[in-house]
Amino acid sequence: MFKLERRVYPSRKTSGLVIFLSFLLAFFVTGLIFYFLGVNVVQFYSIIGNVFITPVLFLQAVFRSIPIILSSLGLVVAFRMGFWNIGAEGQIYLGMVAATGIVILHVFYDAIPVSLMLIAMGVASFLAGGAWCLIAASLKAKLGVNEVLTTLMLNYIAMLFVDYLVYGPWRDPEGWGFALSIPFPDYATLTFGGHPSVAGITISVAVAALVYVLFKYTKLGFVLSVLGKSSEVAKYAGMSVGRATLLGSLISGGIAGLGGFYVVSGMIGRLRPRASPGYGYTAIIVAMLAQLNPWLILPAGIFFGGLLTAGDALQSLLRLPASTITVFQSVIFLCIVLAEFFMRYKVVLKR
Amino acid sequence: MSIEWIEPVLASTTSIGVVYLLGSLGEIYAERSGILNLGLEGIMAIGAAISFIITIAWGHALAFLVAGIFGILMGLLLAFFAVSLRLNQITVGLAITMLGLGLSGFITFPTTRKIILQTLNPELPGAVLETQSVSMLPSVPIPLLKEIPIVGPMFFNHNVVVYITLILAPLMWFLLFRTSAGLKIRSVGENPGMADALGINVFRIRYLTCILSGMFSALAGAYFMLGFQPFWIEGMTGGRGFITLSLIILSTWSPLRAIFGSLLFGGIEVLQYRLQLFGLGATSPQFVLMLPYAIAVITLSLLSVESFRKRISAPAALAKPYYREG
Repeated sequence: MFKLERRVYPSRKTSGLVIFLSFLLAFFVTGLIFYFLGVNVVQFYSIIGNVFITPVLFLQAVFRSIPIILSSLGLVVAFRMGFWNIGAEGQIYLGMVAATGIVILHVFYDAIPVSLMLIAMGVASFLAGGAWCLIAASLKAKLGVNEVLTTLMLNYIAMLFVDYLVYGPWRDPEGWGFALSIPFPDYATLTFGGHPSVAGITISVAVAALVYVLFKYTKLGFVLSVLGKSSEVAKYAGMSVGRATLLGSLISGGIAGLGGFYVVSGMIGRLRPRASPGYGYTAIIVAMLAQLNPWLILPAGIFFGGLLTAGDALQSLLRLPASTITVFQSVIFLCIVLAEFFMRYKVVLKR
Repeated sequence: MSIEWIEPVLASTTSIGVVYLLGSLGEIYAERSGILNLGLEGIMAIGAAISFIITIAWGHALAFLVAGIFGILMGLLLAFFAVSLRLNQITVGLAITMLGLGLSGFITFPTTRKIILQTLNPELPGAVLETQSVSMLPSVPIPLLKEIPIVGPMFFNHNVVVYITLILAPLMWFLLFRTSAGLKIRSVGENPGMADALGINVFRIRYLTCILSGMFSALAGAYFMLGFQPFWIEGMTGGRGFITLSLIILSTWSPLRAIFGSLLFGGIEVLQYRLQLFGLGATSPQFVLMLPYAIAVITLSLLSVESFRKRISAPAALAKPYYREG
């Protein structure tokens, strides 16, 4: 018979191995599901694999992964402090709104000098995303409102707010009536380094380094980690739990807001409704797959960017819908959640 | 303003409200027993997709049956992860939502759908294989009662599912609050350790409520497809599963109050269509659509205020896994 034994504390090596194995399990399970649904599984995986060995496609994968990576780095901060922020999607939308708002201020009111545009957009999107996360965080800190449901509901409010703006006051007067903002002028687009993915990966690496430094070397990072382990301990140690929660969530939402900045400024070049195909939800999978390690977020994020890129190829080559990739993502998600079980328990053979 | 204008509005208020009410019935039980099912949105989507396909192949009755069975399977998946393996309900739920949205898009995609339909019923004519719309559930007006002004069109001129849901809600309230079975479910959600010590099988009850939650969510999706919007669009549930979660908060975990809440949310949605129609809110129907989500945030906050919390609050063990050995 099998018996479950509780692990006292899983080593980093065990966790890594378990996560890796469950990641492989996801490939197997997805293959099985699609085999029964009549998909050519070998072709399916070779199309996905091809993305990572073809330079043009790989660059595209990196490009698509930037908003995922950034919002995922934001989630690392939140999850490490035990704040269940599932509102990255909404924080991304707020980042888009703020960045677009700066462009509109500049174009119509001449309020910001050209040289400061990108910096102003970045700061504004950080603050907007952070403020959106702060709503849920302050409700939690002041009243003890569960953040899971509030951050989730705020996602839809943010998405509808973007709809309102581009269908209403921010609609491009010369846009033939389409629900689009004005196109961003060249100096408001993130294209330094020759290709938007170069600019994006530069920002991502910088943010990953900052998150790493935050937790490794700063007092705030230490308080946040303690808070994540146990808010009781943090309270007894005399730490100001409320203030740390607010600061941490400002940073978490702010980084996701930067992801939104990249979507409008690096990817689309304007604001449009439903501009995020769920980057903020994919970011949750990436954060868990990377075990909340900021450096591992980068490859994990690029993998999921690659899946999105492969989705296009699957549509044209195998005539499969984009939702094929959603199914694959969700199976990976379930397998990673399952991994947590094997980190906590050891299956031993008992005679 | 004449009464002719108000009656169709109220009728569609009930039609759409029932989507939320039906979806909430199982999930209220689940949350009362300590299970938060964030997979509701995805299960609703899969219910809608399956009922769409099965209606084309085999007709309405079997569509509800098969959708219900798939809902039960999704509920079992949730139960296995959240109850047996005691994994985080939030991540499991989100993964199930993603799975449901993905699968619903996959099986209804024209090429895959054609193959599925041909397998299910080889005698279908070619034109049917391509259709995006299905026949709606027929209305069964109740004689005499339907003649009453306002109340008649609102409650007595609908399809069978609406009637069943409206009868089921008070019945399920009674079961939850006035019977010993209901007391067991609620005690598991408030204090599973104590309930276990009293000999209540926590795991069995939570499995049962997970199954209920899955089944009712899928049925709500099927009803949305066949009773309200009988043409398939990918992602047609569009957040309605999360609105259902919001309804449950507003109705403070009571099936009876959920009836009123669902009518309010249904009314909000109909109002939004009407505003667009009259050009009144043409610039900002989005603010009306935000209301259900905003109401959830506000209600959650109010419920956390000290004076409210003493009288009414969320189940204490909501979304917390139960370890027997402690």
